Amino acid sequence: MSASEQVIQLEKTDPKFVEEIIEYGSKIFGREHMETITACFQCGTCSGSCPSGRRTAYRTRLVMRKALLGLKDEVLSSEELWYCTTCYTCYERCPRGVRTTDIIRVIRNIAAKSGRMKEQHKRVARLLIRFGHAVPITDEFKEIRKALGLSELPPTVHSYPEALDEVRKLIKIMKFDQMVGYQESG
Amino acid sequence: MKYALFLGCMIPLRLPNLEYATRNVLAEFGVELVDMREATCCPDPIGIRNMDYLTWLAIAARNLAVADEMGLDILTLCNGCYETLKTAYVTLTEDAEMREKINEILAKANREFKGKAKVKHLLEVFYHDIGLQKIREMVKRPLEGLKVAAHYGCHILRPSEILKFDDPENPRKLDELVEALGATPQQYEMKTLCCGAGLRNVMSEYSIRMAREKLVRVKEAGADCMVVACPFCFIQYDMGQFEIRRLTKERFDIPVFYFSELLGYAIGLSPRELGLGMHRVKVDRVLKKIR
Amino acid sequence: MDSDKIGVFICHCGSNIAGVIDIKRVLNEIARAPNVFVMDHTYLCSKEGLNELKRKIAEEKLSKVVIAACSPRLHERLFRRAAEEAGLNPFLVEFVNIREQCSWPHMYSPTAATNKAIALIKMGIEKARLLTPIQRRYARAKKRVLVIGGGVAGITAALSLASLGIEVYLVEKQPTLGGHMAMLDKLFPTLDCSICILAPLMSEVSEHPMIKVLTLSEVTSIKGRPGDFEVEILKRPRYVNEEKCVGCIEICSKTCPVEVPNEFDMGLRPRKAIYLPFPQAVPLLAVIDPDHCIGCRNCEDACERDAIDFNQTPERIRIHVGAIIVATGYETFDARLKSEYGYGRYPDVITSLELERLLSPSGPTRGRVVRLSNGKEPRRIVFIQCVGSRDESVGNPYCSRICCTASIKEAICIKERIPDAEVFILFQDIRTYGKGYEEFLLKAMRDFGIKIIRGRASSVTANENGDDLIVRAENTLTGEIMEINADLVVLSVGLVPPSDTEDLARMLGISQSSDGFLLERHPKLAPSETMIQGIYIAGTIQGPKDIQDTVAHSKSAALDAANFVLHEKIELDPYVPTYNPDLCKRCRLCEEACDWGALTFDKEKGVIINSSACLGCGACVAACPTGALDMPYFTNQQIIAQIHATLENKCEFPLIVAFLCNWCGYAAADFAGTTKIQYPTNIRPIRVMCTARVSPLMILEAFKAGADGVLVVGCHPQDCHYRTGFSKAERRISALKKYLENVGINPRRLKIASTSASEGERFANIVREFVEELKKLGPIGSELVMKSAG
Repeated sequence: MSASEQVIQLEKTDPKFVEEIIEYGSKIFGREHMETITACFQCGTCSGSCPSGRRTAYRTRLVMRKALLGLKDEVLSSEELWYCTTCYTCYERCPRGVRTTDIIRVIRNIAAKSGRMKEQHKRVARLLIRFGHAVPITDEFKEIRKALGLSELPPTVHSYPEALDEVRKLIKIMKFDQMVGYQESG
Repeated sequence: MKYALFLGCMIPLRLPNLEYATRNVLAEFGVELVDMREATCCPDPIGIRNMDYLTWLAIAARNLAVADEMGLDILTLCNGCYETLKTAYVTLTEDAEMREKINEILAKANREFKGKAKVKHLLEVFYHDIGLQKIREMVKRPLEGLKVAAHYGCHILRPSEILKFDDPENPRKLDELVEALGATPQQYEMKTLCCGAGLRNVMSEYSIRMAREKLVRVKEAGADCMVVACPFCFIQYDMGQFEIRRLTKERFDIPVFYFSELLGYAIGLSPRELGLGMHRVKVDRVLKKIR
Repeated sequence: MDSDKIGVFICHCGSNIAGVIDIKRVLNEIARAPNVFVMDHTYLCSKEGLNELKRKIAEEKLSKVVIAACSPRLHERLFRRAAEEAGLNPFLVEFVNIREQCSWPHMYSPTAATNKAIALIKMGIEKARLLTPIQRRYARAKKRVLVIGGGVAGITAALSLASLGIEVYLVEKQPTLGGHMAMLDKLFPTLDCSICILAPLMSEVSEHPMIKVLTLSEVTSIKGRPGDFEVEILKRPRYVNEEKCVGCIEICSKTCPVEVPNEFDMGLRPRKAIYLPFPQAVPLLAVIDPDHCIGCRNCEDACERDAIDFNQTPERIRIHVGAIIVATGYETFDARLKSEYGYGRYPDVITSLELERLLSPSGPTRGRVVRLSNGKEPRRIVFIQCVGSRDESVGNPYCSRICCTASIKEAICIKERIPDAEVFILFQDIRTYGKGYEEFLLKAMRDFGIKIIRGRASSVTANENGDDLIVRAENTLTGEIMEINADLVVLSVGLVPPSDTEDLARMLGISQSSDGFLLERHPKLAPSETMIQGIYIAGTIQGPKDIQDTVAHSKSAALDAANFVLHEKIELDPYVPTYNPDLCKRCRLCEEACDWGALTFDKEKGVIINSSACLGCGACVAACPTGALDMPYFTNQQIIAQIHATLENKCEFPLIVAFLCNWCGYAAADFAGTTKIQYPTNIRPIRVMCTARVSPLMILEAFKAGADGVLVVGCHPQDCHYRTGFSKAERRISALKKYLENVGINPRRLKIASTSASEGERFANIVREFVEELKKLGPIGSELVMKSAG
């Protein structure tokens, strides 16, 4: 008789998950910054401070706990992972100095790389690649700008297309376009 | 005072009235702005940074490199752009290895991050570079009798170890700026609560409810209006009031000002010169309160 | 002497040393040295080990001994005594530290660690060859002890000492004895009244013929040496005649027009400028607060006993004591630093100490627990634990120990007075470790229905009417976010060291731990001693603890102090310099180098050394250009021999010769090893008493002999055990660096740094960084080769 599915069995966890998170983040933040996850003593200050926490099932503390326990699939495929607004309140208040927000971002990066990226976010990314801005100009706003006496097109990459080529070059080098499903024609 | 103006996305493309007001107000203070024509999205801290941190850093570094070439410090109008660019700046100046790595990538686009251009938020420029004294002198129409609830937003205060703008739990600089305009900075509960914009894309109902939580507190405290320093916060509270009404039927009738607008009005610019007519929550009633 | 046979005894220390160091290889290597007998033992410090040592000294006719084992700072006395018992002069023993400074910090580099151990032992042997007998130095201790602090710790220590017939000066800066314990209502787990059990002790102390109590007093300077400290005390004026005042307080305070917050009641109630701190104050005398008195003299006119005296002035009192006990207690964490809890913003957010005053029957509300906003009884009270404790964001990573049980006690007291009230305690963990504490918790939960929630509160805000508070926390056991409406919130604030601790530590020449409390000599075996003989610590100044642990600790400190002053003679360090008039060139640089006036110059006799004023730092010896002055046990020849011995075999690059001062540098290196902090093996430490002993000649000799780098580590300049020793070393080294530059050697090869005794990690970092830097500079002399190559 196998154990109930409600039970966590250590054999089914991935003890390397924490190291994976630390490794990935070390390249950006340095090892010391990422290793703070191991200092988490589950006090709940983070969840208690979280604006998303009090209206959703998202618990910052649980993300840290599950990561440390190696519940990789659960963490990477959870909806709640995307409810953090990155307000950094937990980051400021953590009594052990755990770099919560940065760790959540790293986990999101890992989730994204494993194909679990939200369609809404992919869309924003594709707009950026296409226009150089996360929201594109529309005719309506061209008119409003004109009416105010501003230049019709804002004096950014919208007016300077060579700059857009530069950014696209960078994005191609980083293979980011592939990640978000950007095609030249679209 | 001369700065490279980093407009970002939201202000020029969805809230051009804020761009308009800011340009006019800074001109009154003799601040020269040079457009960063080659700038792109900062890039978006939610969409891009969550997916691939290094791509985000490379694009941010490119924007910083553009300002390096212009030889000017960057002036940002948005908390999101501020945190993005400043964090990128601090990362690249403190981590030599990372800087080398990013510059290798930027080199393919003929750019180099040198770290000369510093990143400043509009409020920093007003508080530190221009100064409260100068602002007080320029005020022609003191906003006496107006109770203004200051909403700082998250990314001008936190992470405080990088941004170092003000105390993250008990900030006061925006309140002091409000006071310098002759208005009364209204204190209220949950002052450092996030506006919820970060969730808008993903869970819009929760995002709206977060905005509502603050509006409830602001109304409880008896404020006449709110002042913000970021276009995302602006949209959450201005347009947000209509979205809340659709959800819960509540009316708040609390106009939201972007700081340049409030400052502009106090130094004598007309509502037309500030584009105030474009607010979703009408401001006239509140402006009448000023003695 | 060449005929000397040196006995080298290598201790395994179980597997502490033998687990890393290849003892066999060391034995083989050392056995090859001339005139050396070598043996190993599993536990040299054991009774069996010491007997073996003594036996071998006799059997092998050893004239000198080298002990290669743990740090001399641990068992120096033990081994010297053993050698003495075997018939040797105790100072013919040299110590080689192959545990704290070898096996422990190099656990993962056994080969390199073994090479280092061999080099260190060779260093020890060459020094031992040059050792000469030294006589022990003794002095008499004054049979008088100074106790700084008049709370329960100071009172306990004073009474213990007085009962042994030792004279005590008890100095307290407040106008009354009692400290924090006098402010508490009931104590855990017995629920007996705090001031009721403290007051009799306060009376006993004030009436004891052997104890002199000085209130309104502070220690302003400490000079002298263990056994004879010269202490200066500043006694502030009370403005009240101590003979005439009977402490009735009614008449004078009634006429006083000034009202200010009463500190004893945490500001919850006013007092006059002339006041009695609390009804059981000892001495029971009024006191005038000069900062707020307006000089109207109404009190003077009104007092029927003519007890007011505005002519009083501050008094300076000088005393000589044999030992000092520091019992200065604690302060509570400033809750305003956690702004998310709203302390100072909402009147109904109070600290635990303020609650104690509300609970106290003689407090501002006569024992009624009320909301400060409206004076009504609260219906729901929430305790927030760990405020300012276990919290790196405010710089206090440690646990304050007492707050869990204290809050449980306070919760029970509230329920006793308001049985219908709902009381919540938001714990992070429940640390009820003491005798009867767990049972106390059970009582709280079962008999009083106190509600326990696991979760650290994240914020306290006001509700929409502004009259209730909302405490927000995650209930971590259910995973729910809770918002608890409360009308009274109690912040369980942690304990922090008093704000003047740094200054006091400096004045005494003792160290602070990394948390700011005072550092004990050994956390397990010597909790009330400091690194300085004659100075002891008692109570919470050593670290947070409850009253029962404080009393035990204070009695321990009293015993330590009594032990010290009651001995017929106390032993002093024998490191007073020797003088050879034949070598003296009468330059008088030594006189200049000594800050203590221990050297005077006589035209005929040359230099005269005053051994009772000499502290043994060696600054004069290092200044002497001819070697006329030398320091026993740390002679110039011995140190040079150590340098040569250790550089004989350059088995790794870079090789650093390190001079570490006994009090800080060497102690920090020991601490790094004790806490198993790992660092590279590339250093060869040489112990000196003070970095001021290190002469430029020694450093140059090290470079000549092939050292790639020379490191000097001493105390932080303001903490130097000999006051100015480190600063002298700094100046010498900066001058020497210029010289090095002139001769073409990269001055970055010479480094001077500071650590405190508890900064093990810092020491390890200094070594790591220096090793990296030297790797970049290359071996010594490589800069000269390049120069000549053009």
